[in-house]
Amino acid sequence: MEEQFAELVAKVAELEATSGGASVTNTMFAETFYYLTIPLMIIIHVGFLAYEMGASRLKNVLSSGVKNILAFAFMIPTFYFFGWWVYWAFPTGLPGAPGPAGISGIEYANAIALGWGDSAQYMAPNIADNASGVFFGAFALFAATTASIMSGAVIERIQTVGFVILAIVLGSFAWVVAAAWGWHADGWLVTKFGLHDFGAAGLVHAVAGFFALGVLINLGPRIGKFNTDGSANAIAGHNMPLTVIGLMLIIVGFFGFLMACVIVPGEAWSWFPDKFSTIYGTPITLSALSFNILMAIAGGIIGAWVLTRDPFWMMSGALAGIISTASGLDIYFPAMTFIIAFSAGLILKFCADWLERRGIDDAVGAVTVHGTIGLYGVVMLGVMASGFPALQGAAGEVATISIMGQVIGAIVFFLVGFVPGYGVSYLLKMFGMLRIREGAEIAGMDTVKVPAQGYPEGIPPSAVAAE
Amino acid sequence: MFPYDEASWSVVDGAMFAGSGTALPGLTTFIAAVICIAVLVYGQRSETAKAKAFD
Repeated sequence: MEEQFAELVAKVAELEATSGGASVTNTMFAETFYYLTIPLMIIIHVGFLAYEMGASRLKNVLSSGVKNILAFAFMIPTFYFFGWWVYWAFPTGLPGAPGPAGISGIEYANAIALGWGDSAQYMAPNIADNASGVFFGAFALFAATTASIMSGAVIERIQTVGFVILAIVLGSFAWVVAAAWGWHADGWLVTKFGLHDFGAAGLVHAVAGFFALGVLINLGPRIGKFNTDGSANAIAGHNMPLTVIGLMLIIVGFFGFLMACVIVPGEAWSWFPDKFSTIYGTPITLSALSFNILMAIAGGIIGAWVLTRDPFWMMSGALAGIISTASGLDIYFPAMTFIIAFSAGLILKFCADWLERRGIDDAVGAVTVHGTIGLYGVVMLGVMASGFPALQGAAGEVATISIMGQVIGAIVFFLVGFVPGYGVSYLLKMFGMLRIREGAEIAGMDTVKVPAQGYPEGIPPSAVAAE
Repeated sequence: MFPYDEASWSVVDGAMFAGSGTALPGLTTFIAAVICIAVLVYGQRSETAKAKAFD
């Protein structure tokens, strides 16, 4: 008997040891999962950089690059200083009360998201914390994405410091407020209206797109964009292939972006012990993302090709395909994703032309691709998936997805983007910090402020080949 | 459109996409295929017409 008992004790000890190992493996997997989303999302910035520089004329190519790189650089520390805190502090709105899930409110944010006092342990190297840094990293990269979206729209005439201020307001505040309200289990748009925006079509893309619109209204068009009768001239960038490759790189990076929207199972902070979930705690699989992202890219490209035949708009169509379906990539049927993305690709150019006829010079179509299509995607989910529970919880106790809830979310995202974009750019304009002087714009911003040349040898014919 | 009787994720144990268990998946697959074919037909016609202008 004693022998059997000893055997049993040994067996239990062995199982405990094995289970401890599995737990460590899971923790390492979870940390690595989010860590890898960070370089993948940096590819989005590689893409935006190439896209924006290609869309610039030769005289502005490097200054466009400088602006884009600086936006990324300022986004990381400002998101560390206060952006991360805003996300955790205000899901329930003002004044920052705690929400039902117990992971929000000013008190909670003070405890985990400030770089000083007791909270600093979660904002620095800590052997007992494998999560805070990688979550912060992923969110900081979401923030930088919003800044890059705005960056392309305003090329060739904005001042560098004015632009960086706008990027900080957008990336470390405006979209973070939208995320707190609509991308958090305690977010009031989610708990009260059943908003579902899994892949951030509204709270990243639409917010950034309409923030850019607010800025463009105050910034004005590039010299030579519009004629006196109001008709528009096309201002071609210096390198379309670079722009198209940049757009493709953005799409590569979006696999990391959408991967970072998933919550890994099995950790103390996970929703499930054995299933991936969305940020709302609803189940998801990476297979769902694989099916739907690929179908969305294809649908968007095909839709844009039908009406434009232009590689710039085709690759913008790919982006529009992802953005138009991002809200429901977790629950759409792949063919449905394809059809929605196709429709987004079809309407893309019309929407951009409509905006241009109103005197808005959006150099890369960012307001349309991210703003208009982002809102289209948020609303389409209400049409296609009404009745799905928006959160984890018992039937009747949690809000469900509805057209009304999605429309309310879309309106809020529009306002959270447009109002600060317009307001802050208006102030910058008053202080002379928004637009570069006319003479400098005509001379070219590289000559004015970049001590380097994009193509110092021009584009000469190839050297003679060796015999 | 939620494919389970009870509007709760706790009862979900399989397919969970919009339209699951209805004719919608088949219908949308058919429409998507038709779109692909129609776009190719339209593309071929318009490209041929443009190329003929250079004959």
